[in-house]
Formats: sequence, structure tokens, C-alpha cells
Amino acid sequence: MTTLAFQPWGNYALALAASAESFGVKCWTSTSSTPEILRLGVEASPEFACLPFKGSTGHFIKAAREGAEYGVIVNSIGTCRLRYYRAVQQKILGEHGLELFIFGLGYDGFKPPLIRHFDPALGPFLKSIARAARKIGAVETMEKLAWEKRAVERRPGETTRLLNECLRDLDKARTVPEIRACRESLPARFGAIPVRTDATPLKVGLLGEATLLRDRFLNHNIEEILGGLGAEVNNFFLMGMELRKIFHLGRGNPHSPKNLFKLARPYLKNPVGGHALESVAYTILCADKGYDGIVHVCPAGCMPEISIRPILRRISRDRDIPLLEYSFDEQTSHVGVLTRLEAFADILYDRRKKNRR
Amino acid sequence: METKVYLGVDVGSISANIVAVTGQAEVMAQTYRRVEGHPIRSVQRALREVRRALPESVRVAGVGTTGSGRVLVGAVLGADIVKNEISAHARAALRLHPDVQTILEIGGQDSKITIVRDGVVVDFAMNLVCAAGTGSFLDSQAKRLNITIEELSERAVLSRNPTGIAGRCTVFAESDMIHKQQVGCAQDDILMGLCQAMVRNYLSNVCKGKEIREPIVLQGGVSANKGIGRAFKEILGRDVIIPRYNMVMGAYGAALIVSGHDGKTTRFRGFDACDREIATPSFVCRDCPNLCEVIEIVDGGELLGRSGGRCLKWEGTSGPR
Repeated sequence: MTTLAFQPWGNYALALAASAESFGVKCWTSTSSTPEILRLGVEASPEFACLPFKGSTGHFIKAAREGAEYGVIVNSIGTCRLRYYRAVQQKILGEHGLELFIFGLGYDGFKPPLIRHFDPALGPFLKSIARAARKIGAVETMEKLAWEKRAVERRPGETTRLLNECLRDLDKARTVPEIRACRESLPARFGAIPVRTDATPLKVGLLGEATLLRDRFLNHNIEEILGGLGAEVNNFFLMGMELRKIFHLGRGNPHSPKNLFKLARPYLKNPVGGHALESVAYTILCADKGYDGIVHVCPAGCMPEISIRPILRRISRDRDIPLLEYSFDEQTSHVGVLTRLEAFADILYDRRKKNRR
Repeated sequence: METKVYLGVDVGSISANIVAVTGQAEVMAQTYRRVEGHPIRSVQRALREVRRALPESVRVAGVGTTGSGRVLVGAVLGADIVKNEISAHARAALRLHPDVQTILEIGGQDSKITIVRDGVVVDFAMNLVCAAGTGSFLDSQAKRLNITIEELSERAVLSRNPTGIAGRCTVFAESDMIHKQQVGCAQDDILMGLCQAMVRNYLSNVCKGKEIREPIVLQGGVSANKGIGRAFKEILGRDVIIPRYNMVMGAYGAALIVSGHDGKTTRFRGFDACDREIATPSFVCRDCPNLCEVIEIVDGGELLGRSGGRCLKWEGTSGPR
């Protein structure tokens, strides 16, 4: 059976794998990078390439070594260096003597090369889309529940354990009714976690570069760390939202490109690549919704996210909302991440105390 | 009648410091020791010094640890509170100078700026990818010139005509210092030039975009260097206060924080902790692809704690192995 390697997209890997399997294709993917994948990527990449590039390059190298013949990566035009990922990675793989062909998912008309290549019949194709969409929805539901519970759980780590269990169950669910049943069981399962009733969690917006937001290994488990500090995070990269945005689905979507443009307009009038405009818009959204603080994650050398840093600082000052900026690369030390996040949480708690006075 | 004391322990890259304070926040004993690659042993030695300095009648009512070795040492001593160094430093500065608005802190490998408004920390920044402009570099330059770090401090302030040294990168700063010495500049002038370069580097890299308002407090190990203090005053053109316990502010802050959280009992394992043999075996957790290296902190047969995992699973002493 043909094996297809998907670019790592955090827990969404499950959904992508499910869609590939409906094509009759085996899928090679993982829900996060690993030290081995990153090492492979770093060795093969130019030194100043951004972290997501190194991560996904390592991912494809490992996949190729384990027998994957094809790879898929987002390759949209006009965003940032992401545009060249496919071409450069293809070259790197060739130089390493690996035979893996990477499909770029870009704006290639109605039938992108990937679909043209496998050319599935319409019925199975629609079915695969439906399954993937359901699974994406289920992943989002459980992640949102986990963000909420982690901040108030009584025994540290319990929410994460349950989340991993739910992800395994979701992976096993094959048909649409099974997936629906799994999703519907989630609120009850997460509701059973014992919580501290006296706690008032902080609300922290997590935004920035998409891969970093989604890869637990690359971002040093930032969601869990913040949760452990008593902060309910909202990770602003949701794939469901992203797909709705790309395909202009869903009416009245508050996060449609049009609405985000409108939101960001006082500070930024044009997209500057990547998810930079979204980061600006979501920062303003966080300020509007009374979040306690914002954490902006950015790979070292990421052009779009770096170019909006001064804007985020300005919004932070104008709207009086604390901002923590952090850039990640393969050298980032875990203690450094912990120290800054702990100090940031202290600031947020102190502000609360002061405002109550 | 026994006196209650609270111990604050700060274990950084270069030094391990312990401060003992009374319930009224008066310092009873303080010690500053170089770590030299052995955080546990140097903390044990520092603790012995503190034990000698304290009267017999004291009772330790709480221990707080901070610094990059805070988790490890917290487990060894039985800390009640393990706090990040940014909050600890701010707490100490606010105690000694309640009206402070900017805290500059330069340590062995870290440098930070903390912005305080109305007695509350509102923002901070910390060096990210480069340790230029921290104590390690001053140390290595003193070693190269075969002088002690204290001598470097004394001689820099004697300079009347500091030379310009390129401060963007320590490697180039060193080349520049060598160039200046080969063309015949006086060593005092080169040393002061180095201090100025370090301060400029710190201000442009760590403090970029931050509003530095008076009163300004300068603390951390490097604040003991008179050349650095002078360079800050000259470059900022404002007064820079060097607080009383400038070398051990992190430890002082940790002690203050723990004294504020007066629980009924302390987890402190007693001054005996400084004579024990602590082992730190490690294992690789294979439950997920992260393959974290988890360190166990073991005293005899007793497991004191674990560190090194990226998730909460190995937190504390409980949990499955």
C-alpha cells in the first residue's frame, strides 16, 4: 500500500490520517515532533531556516527512511518562507538519496496535484472529507475542554492523561457515527475530573506562528505549563477555523478573513505574511474580551511574526494588557521557558490583586 | 525563646547564595559561593556557613529556592516554595526600595530588566540567545588578563579616558580589547571601555523598547563591579542605586516570599541536609516520543523529587515509575 507522510499538525494528525485512509492510502504521521525528528531536521537544514522548517524536514526524512513514498505540506503562495518549504525540502531529500515526493497544498485550482494524483472517485472522496472534518471538530472540542480543566484540576497531569486517552479513542473511531459518539462523550468525561472550586483561573491568549502553536515538542508543552500555573489558555490556531477561512465556509463566522481585517485595521492594514495579521487581530480580540494576558510564540527568524512584534507591544501598551514574547529555536532551554512563563503568571496574578483593591 | 528564620536559596549558573531572614525581614546571615559545576555540593557548603553564622536558638520556619537550579536544590533541602528568579529579585528590590520603577539585574549568564509601576511588576525581559554582557564574560576577560574580578572592578573606575570597545559580540569585543592593548592603550582604560561596551550591549539587547524610569536599582552578581555601576550612570545619565544586599538579592527575595507564606509546618529537611550524600540517577521516559531524560533526586534510599520531564507526569515524588 502507498504510504503518505503528512506534515505534523499536532493532534490534527489524527484527522489527516483518517482522511488519507479513506483514499486507500496508508498514513505516516505523528502528533508532535520528537528529539530525533528535530535532530534529523537540524542536521539537514540551513542553519538560519526557521524552526517549523527544521521540524518538518526532519519529519519527512524519517518518513522516507521508514518507507513513505509521498509527503504532503501546505505550500501556499504569498505567505512567507513556507512557500519555498516544498521545493527546498524536495532538494534536501534528493541530496540525502531519499525518494519521497512532496505534494504542496496550495492554491492550485479545484483539484490540487495531490488529489489529481490519487484521483479518487467522488463518493469516497466526499466521505473522506466528512470524516476528517468530524475528527477535526472532535479534536477541537477535547482540546478546548482540556485548556479549561487543566487550569483548575486537583491532581496535576490528570487532564493531559485523559486528553491522551480521548485522542486514542478518537483515532480508533472509523465511521462518522463512531466519531460523533466519541465527541458527544467528551463533556461528560472531562466533567468527571476533580477540580478546585475555589480557583479563579487566569485567561491567557496563545497566538503566533501556527506550527509552533500546534507542536507540543517545539513549543515546550507551553499549554501544559500555563495550565499548571493556573491559566486557562486559548490557542488561537484552530484548524477547523483555518479551513473555514480558506474555503470561505460558514456564514457569520467572527473569525472570517473580512472580520479579522476589520479588527486589525487600526494597527495593520495589509497582510504581512504567515498568520501575522491574525496575531494582531487576535491580540485586539483578547484585549476586547478581557483576557489577563497574551503569550506570543514565534520561531527565531520568522519574518511575519517578527515584523508585527512592535505592533503587539503597541497594542499591549494602548490596551493595557500584558504581553510575553518568546522566540523558539532548537537551542531554546526548557528552564528558560519555565522561568519566563512563571514570572509572567506572577505578573498577571499581581495585577489582579491590585485591580481588586 | 527560639527565633524563627526563613532561608532563601538562589542557585544560579555561577553562584549559590543563601540568606537567612527573621520574620521581620531582617537579614541574619548571608553567604555567596561560586557553584563551580556542583550545585548540590556548593549549596551544602553554603548551608554549613549559614549554620555557623546563625545562633543556636533559631528554628527554620520556611525555605524558598530560586535560580536556574531551584527545582533540584528545592528537592534536596525540602523547599516550601520554589520561585522563579524574576519574581524573587523584584520582591527583594521592592522591600529595600519600595518606590523602585526599574530593576536592572545582571548575573552570571542571565541579564534581565524588570519594570515596576506602583509597586507591582508589570513587565520584564531577559536575554534570550546570547550571554554577552553578563558576568561570565567579565570573568573570562579577568582570567585572560591574569587579574581577579575584584581587581578588574577597582581598576576600571580609575580610568580617566575609557577606550571604545565594540560590544555587540563578546568574541569581537575580545578582539577589540586585544587590538587596543597592542596599540598601547592603558589597561585601566581598556577595562572601563569593556564595562561601557557591556552596558551598551545590555541596554540595546535586553532593555530595547522598555521605558527606564527612576528610581533604578542595579543588582545581581555583576552589580558588585564598580566599573559597571559607573558605566550605567554615565550612559543612562541618571542615578543608579546599588541596594544593600546587591549580590544576594535573589536569595533575599526568596526568603521574603517564603516568610510571607507562613504555613504551619515547613518541609525543610534540617541542617543535616548539608552533610548528606545526594545521588541523581536518571532514566529516559518512553511513554511518548519526547523521550525526556528524567533526573531522580535520591538521598540514601529516599526519593526526594524528580526533574527534567516536559510534562507534569513526573512532578513531585508520587506517580508511577
